Amino acid sequence: MRRVVITGIGAVSPLGLGGGTGGGLWEGLLAGRSGTATLRRFDASAFPSRVAGEVPAFKTTDYVPKSYRKATKIMARDIELAVVAADLAVKDARLITRGIAEGPATQGGGWFKPNPERMGCNIGAGLIAADLTELATAMAQARAEHDVLDLARWGRSEDPAKTSGMESLTPLWLLKYLPNMLACHVSIIHDTQGPSNTITCGQASAGLALAEAARTIQRGDADLALVGGCETKVHEMGLMRWTLLGRLNTRDNDTPQRACRPYDTTAAGSVIAEGGAVLVIEEFEHARARGATIYAEVAGLGATAGAAAAGSPTGIDTSGEAAAMAMKKALAGAGAKAQDVGVVVPPGYGIAAWDAADAAALRGAFGEHVPTVVPARAGIGDCGAGAQALDLAAAALMIQQQTIPPATNVTTPIAGLPVSVKAESRPLEYAAVLTTALGGQNSAVVLKRMDHQ
Amino acid sequence: MRKRVVITGIGWVTPLGHDIETVWRRLQAGESGIAPTTLFDARTFPTTFAAEVKGYDFPAAIGASYPRHREAGRNTRFALGAAKQAWTMAGLPDSGIGAQTPGLDPYAVGTYMGAGEGGLDFANYTHNALAALPAGTSSIDTRTWGNLALKNFDPMREIEQEPSMTITHLAMEFNARGPSLNCLTACAASTQAIGEATEIIRRGDADIMISGGAHSMIHPFGVTGFNRLTALSTFNDNPRRACRPFDATRGGFVLGEGAGIVILESLEHAQQRGAKILAEVVGYGSSCDAFAVTDQHPEGRGAIVAIREALKDAEMTPRDIHYINAHGTGTKENDSTETLAVKQVFGEHAKHVPMSSIKSMMGHLIAAAGAVELITCVLAMRDGVLPPTMNYEHPDPECDLDYVPNAARKAPVDVAMSLNFGFGGQNDTLIIRKFAG
Repeated sequence: MRRVVITGIGAVSPLGLGGGTGGGLWEGLLAGRSGTATLRRFDASAFPSRVAGEVPAFKTTDYVPKSYRKATKIMARDIELAVVAADLAVKDARLITRGIAEGPATQGGGWFKPNPERMGCNIGAGLIAADLTELATAMAQARAEHDVLDLARWGRSEDPAKTSGMESLTPLWLLKYLPNMLACHVSIIHDTQGPSNTITCGQASAGLALAEAARTIQRGDADLALVGGCETKVHEMGLMRWTLLGRLNTRDNDTPQRACRPYDTTAAGSVIAEGGAVLVIEEFEHARARGATIYAEVAGLGATAGAAAAGSPTGIDTSGEAAAMAMKKALAGAGAKAQDVGVVVPPGYGIAAWDAADAAALRGAFGEHVPTVVPARAGIGDCGAGAQALDLAAAALMIQQQTIPPATNVTTPIAGLPVSVKAESRPLEYAAVLTTALGGQNSAVVLKRMDHQ
Repeated sequence: MRKRVVITGIGWVTPLGHDIETVWRRLQAGESGIAPTTLFDARTFPTTFAAEVKGYDFPAAIGASYPRHREAGRNTRFALGAAKQAWTMAGLPDSGIGAQTPGLDPYAVGTYMGAGEGGLDFANYTHNALAALPAGTSSIDTRTWGNLALKNFDPMREIEQEPSMTITHLAMEFNARGPSLNCLTACAASTQAIGEATEIIRRGDADIMISGGAHSMIHPFGVTGFNRLTALSTFNDNPRRACRPFDATRGGFVLGEGAGIVILESLEHAQQRGAKILAEVVGYGSSCDAFAVTDQHPEGRGAIVAIREALKDAEMTPRDIHYINAHGTGTKENDSTETLAVKQVFGEHAKHVPMSSIKSMMGHLIAAAGAVELITCVLAMRDGVLPPTMNYEHPDPECDLDYVPNAARKAPVDVAMSLNFGFGGQNDTLIIRKFAG
């Protein structure tokens, strides 16, 4: 059986942008720092929740080769996040790809040129929202009475000399918004010609993407892969959808850093966010042979669906049974007993009913031995398909650093759940990541400490 | 030792009908499901026609469980109907939603779809945006928009647009609690979904996978997107003849919609319960061009890898393949690149392998295309009939293979291959064979 290890981490989140322990994610987790703040991207004054986890300013062109700068014009924000995270991850793994210019920075120190045909790409994505202003200004050219779009003037304007609404959109408009464009751009930039996929399973996308890519490595179809997920919900449609679905904290606009409090008795809802991560995963012998730094082994994987138990598309499997089953599968795959696992990163939406279902799932999976709980997204918010990628990055860093961060924003944990209260160095053999997505897709991953460098 | 995987049920909802035999009969007869667009007013669009699913009675198709799926998007409605057909054909007990299906471990039943997004709430979306855009300005007043949006949009209608919702509904309907995934890799999505679902059974993570694709992009912004890319045929005078795969006068693809579902099952599980086996999935290959956002690699590099990987996976050579169901979109670029790729892998033998495109009749179902085309391969194998490539009149020197032009052909098929390629450089290939013990 070919073993799979994590050799690169690139994270883009409200806590910062960086590779490995750099850039803010790890430091933020250790310090219990929150990156959620008053929403600045647009005027949210009409909405009851005005908090968001926004990624600090960056320029995508700083993260792509010169020859690819023009292509950044057809990237929705979700795509930009993935392109940046991939660049950070590839550099962190010391890989020289088409996208990484060789130079003084790549001299010595174990930099390695992978075989493009043996390198895959699997990046989870969400429902990408079209830019509302871009589309609205195009629509304005076919505005009828009562602000109705007149399709008879959308395709072709009455005056042939005039550009119609449709014609005013850039020819490549559609490609900004196809979910597989995250993986597409990343695959072109880094020349990954191996198995490529785009998993769209809500917040469980990234764990399932990692699992699918790990399987391609296990079965010999690839030696490396760029995996993860990225999404932004910080746009008008995202805020509207999550508001109408009742998922957001509407009470704590004045203390936005503390708005998301998973597994706290005062949990009052989630926060829209943007971000995600890309990890480099690699076949163990391949990583060892090139002297790569190994964060952790991908030791166990599990996937289940809770929709049948939930009974409706937006319902909750309150029993946590299906999620627990996913984690049990991952534990079995890793050959780990519940008591071997030192820490678990559950979804932690900060929505009381979902948090309670998580707690039931953890008890179902680990019984008496629920490990220390670190809701890594407490200071980040819900960034959809990027969510579990950040959890995986956090868990891999915990293993490598042999350190458990505190649970950000949690002061009064719900009864019976061992939520982390302080940063603590401790021998960690296994770390578990479990996500239940809105829609019922569950993804569990068990990471293992790797001593054989 | 990996497990063998077989197909025990198939179902589809397509522009040519809503049950297996009707659609198959019409495909053999060379009929067209392409006609002027009725789902919205497309008269001023560069393309005024599409391959729409017509007369599909979703409540009747799904029966008693309709209330649970009342809000489902158009794509998911197609998927549920197709899945119901496939599940029934597979002889799996229908015990009603959420209930324990006798004899089945719900955690050994999974879902893996290549489903697209659900349809936008178009009327609300456009109205809210325009009402929040004061005349003569070029920037949305987000406060106005927010007030309107919170009042007008419906949360269920919004969440049903998530591409994960099709598997959510399938998991609910069939009490499928095993691995549940959706991949959205453009036009290759459902081929990839079926390939990866096969891998899940091969490695023992499920006994049964409900797999396939579902998509509808026949809405104003979908057609806008493809029209702006100049990917669609604009032969508005003759919709039935608009999609001309491999023909020298081909001018683009025709947008279709629908769903195709296969029930994949481990051979041992199918045999234990005495299921009728329709075909065995023996080969799967997947690759990425890593070349360009729109264009395929001009030498078909990725396509070649996907075909070779599938052959290797099946432990077969080109001579073992009796029929190829082509991606055959009817665009200039795809059909010549696809031909080139097949010739590269098959060599001289390429001319002797019939290869047809049913997109000439039912259009391009985008994420669902691969699934309905694999189902077509199952039926071609069952009946020994190759569906034709319709509208083929003018030979193109770059497309010089046997495309089964204009009329179905009787020919024994023991092994069939299905090819699909997607925007973004995704290439996927499946090989199925007659089950022979």
